[in-house]
Amino acid sequence: MLSRDKHLPLTETVYYILLALREPAHGYLIMQKVEEMSAGQVRMAAGTLYGAVENLLKQRWIQPVQSEDSRRKVYVITDQGLSILHRDYERMKHMIEVTNAIMGS
Amino acid sequence: MRKMRFFTNFDREEQWLNGMARQGYQLIRKSVAYEFAPAEPEEANYRIDYRTFKTRQDFEDYKALFEDCGWTHIAGTKSSGAQYFKRTEAWADEDIFSDVGSKAARYKRISDMWLSLAFSFIPIFAVLVSTGAVNVTAFVKPKLLYYTPGLWEMTGSEFWRAFLFETPFAFFRGFSWAVIPIMILIYIVFAQKAKMEYMKSQQE
Repeated sequence: MLSRDKHLPLTETVYYILLALREPAHGYLIMQKVEEMSAGQVRMAAGTLYGAVENLLKQRWIQPVQSEDSRRKVYVITDQGLSILHRDYERMKHMIEVTNAIMGS
Repeated sequence: MRKMRFFTNFDREEQWLNGMARQGYQLIRKSVAYEFAPAEPEEANYRIDYRTFKTRQDFEDYKALFEDCGWTHIAGTKSSGAQYFKRTEAWADEDIFSDVGSKAARYKRISDMWLSLAFSFIPIFAVLVSTGAVNVTAFVKPKLLYYTPGLWEMTGSEFWRAFLFETPFAFFRGFSWAVIPIMILIYIVFAQKAKMEYMKSQQE
């Protein structure tokens, strides 16, 4: 068996934040995108999002980019972030496929 | 109006601030003391985060995010740690945290701060010990801390007057260094208290 990445599975919020940052966005825009993508299921408060972004920066899964807004910092996903996002996607895809094979009619 | 209070629990501190607002006192500043301005009594929602920032830009970005979410930054500076927010938009969330983990993480950060403060005093204490500023003889021969000539030959009220007069000075001569280990101890106690709040709030 392959040794699994210790970062997997990603939490729902981390997964959505990474997905949202395929395109550069600042904090509040990330929150709006996450809420929209999750069909209103994942709503993050300011303090929680700030902490999550800080952790992702520390992991180097996202990075700051040049911002036109002088107050708000803008972030984007890194190659490392894309790779972990893809691995979690594959993991979930497999789960769905195997579930379909067993439970689907 | 200024008020001195010390809290080790953020929920209680938030409730106290909400209570003050209900009585018509609005928080305007926080340094060592809380500063309030008279205002219309209201049902306010104050929330506290604990964070320090490396740069002014990071601090601005942080405050901008909360503003975008309908929370106004009331008090706190780049390196003060405690950041006080008040909900100023009806559409804003009830809290500045939406999960248990991030709400509890405040206590982890404050605990780490107390601990690093305690550790920063240890080298100072070590220097005092190695330079002989920490006077061990004060314990063994406290008499040597009194400088009044002929004090120990005096008798009766003359002795007591001179003795009691010099005692505070003698105490500072011998034991002022003790302030540092006492501070270290107090900081460690605060760190431990915050750690306990951290563990407790994670289980809620």
